[in-house]
Amino acid sequence: MTLRVRSVSLNLHNRRLLENVSFDLHAGDRVAVLGANGAGKSTLLKCLTGEYTAVSGAITLDGRRLGDLPAAERALKMAVMPQGMTLAFPLRVCDVVALGRSRHMDERRSRHWQKAAMEMMDVWHLRSREYPTLSGGEQQRTQMARVLVQIWDCHQHSGDGYFLLLDECFSAADPAHQHSMMEKVGSFADRGVGVLAVMHDMSLAAAWADRVLLLKQGKVTASGPVELLTLPHILQEVYDLPKSLADDYARNNRHWLERNAGQSTFIEQSRSLRQI
Amino acid sequence: MDMSARSSIEPVKGAGDAADHEPVDRPLLRPLPWVTILLSITLLLAIVVSLLTGPMSFSTGEIITSAKLLFSGAETAGTADWVIRELRLPRVVLACVVGAGLAVAGCVTQGVFRNPLADPGLIGVSSGAAFAAVAVIVLSGSLLQGWSGLTGPYALPLAAFVGGLAVTMVIYRLGTRNGETQVALLLLAGIAINVLAGAATGILTYVADDQQLRDLTFWSMGSLANGGWREISACAVFVLAPLAYCLSRFRILNALLLGEQVAGHLGFPVQREKRALLAAAALMVGAGVAVAGMIGFIGLVVPHLLRLIVGPDHRWLIGLSALSGALLLLIADTLARTVIAPADLPVGLLMAIIGGPVFLFLLVQQSRRWV
Repeated sequence: MTLRVRSVSLNLHNRRLLENVSFDLHAGDRVAVLGANGAGKSTLLKCLTGEYTAVSGAITLDGRRLGDLPAAERALKMAVMPQGMTLAFPLRVCDVVALGRSRHMDERRSRHWQKAAMEMMDVWHLRSREYPTLSGGEQQRTQMARVLVQIWDCHQHSGDGYFLLLDECFSAADPAHQHSMMEKVGSFADRGVGVLAVMHDMSLAAAWADRVLLLKQGKVTASGPVELLTLPHILQEVYDLPKSLADDYARNNRHWLERNAGQSTFIEQSRSLRQI
Repeated sequence: MDMSARSSIEPVKGAGDAADHEPVDRPLLRPLPWVTILLSITLLLAIVVSLLTGPMSFSTGEIITSAKLLFSGAETAGTADWVIRELRLPRVVLACVVGAGLAVAGCVTQGVFRNPLADPGLIGVSSGAAFAAVAVIVLSGSLLQGWSGLTGPYALPLAAFVGGLAVTMVIYRLGTRNGETQVALLLLAGIAINVLAGAATGILTYVADDQQLRDLTFWSMGSLANGGWREISACAVFVLAPLAYCLSRFRILNALLLGEQVAGHLGFPVQREKRALLAAAALMVGAGVAVAGMIGFIGLVVPHLLRLIVGPDHRWLIGLSALSGALLLLIADTLARTVIAPADLPVGLLMAIIGGPVFLFLLVQQSRRWV
């Protein structure tokens, strides 16, 4: 199933936030959305989640307009992680994660899934802590566990038709967690879930993504394979970087990309070894 | 927890192991079933004590006899039975219904506005409801002639509901920007509306005649002394129906704990649900105000204390708020009619004495959070 975005534009308060954005999010995709501050990355995400309604253009899911889909039905297939979240009253970590199942109304029956999600995001040991007492990175991991458990059903069959939309989900996490957590999120893509992640960290994107969507001032500058990040002139264009810096970043990104490629062959090898 | 500590040689490791097998949703340090049972038993006791308390003294046996007669539907038999069933019981039932309604209304408005200070009394919902009810009392002979004829015994609660709802909507518009409620704005708007409604109520009081004045006196202070079975049944409908609705809406209230945006992502039609919940709260407040006048702070105190004990999960919070609100108002009313007996202290004043300090305490806590 494909999430299709066709020439989407958005004007808000007389400002053009998005202009003619088009792309596809297929099953199993790992798409990173990159761009400078204010390029419209989060805005694009909010269009996909239906938070902005005055959007021109078409966003369709399996041929159906996303806006026509009832919120409840959409939530069963699409989990979203927004940038920041403050709690009105102090909930415990396990309560926050359980809320991911509230639309499925199986908070109790899905306890083993909640546990698995918390373990995956390395917050199981924090489960009885109150959310506001956690550090920023721990809060983000808790949120991610909540987001993942919302579409944990994808483990029962194919992940095709499920989508994860993430907005700088591990920006406050330490490097070790950033990489290992993104890799675990990537394992959802391996199951067929379409994952779209707004990212700030180019090297993380290079290490993780298959495809990139590069935005500048609400327009798509370039979109395509992750190798785009190794092209200095593209980075120069997208981020308004001086040439020398763009060269450095591109080199750096190539390193991350190759490292990632090496790792995945390693993983494939170990998989095939286990099969023998 | 106890068991594992006793049986293990290494307490730290043992405790950790035991915790590993704990189900995710088992409340740690939050003994919910016990709180529920304890509250129910205390409420039953409070009902019996309240029935026994008063200028005429009865034995528990007479209460039981009256209860039997009541459930068999028999006519009142004798003075004792009459006092219990026609004087004390209505007041007890009214205290329970109004208290439960106000507490749940507070719980819901706090959940929707995402702030522990968003009490219907403080943000002006109660005074809006009171104004509308006073308008019906004073103007039913003139301007609002049609209203009473139209709705009969429900004229007062319905008017109070409309008043409360109007204020809720105004407050909601004023205090909410981009889905986030500004508490300071909300409370300031509440002050303004309290002043306006107070002034308008004052004007109505000024033009009221003697009989109407007598009817109005209890509005300003809040009292449960004026409820007969007719008023109670009208009140109960307007409290229990929205209460049941709120009980069924614990999931959206919990999702709202994470913010409106996330609640939307979780698949809830947030704006529609919010409007429905606020209307339910206004209905409960309106019903309470229509029968008992202004009784403040129950919606503030009860959910706050409960959150400290059982946490913010609305699955439990709403039901327990209903129980505790009923209990608190019943105890307060029993005290109010005994401390300066034979005079009857308006229970609204007593609640203000209890609630004021709690409000100040909450403010101090909030200011710490803001710093």
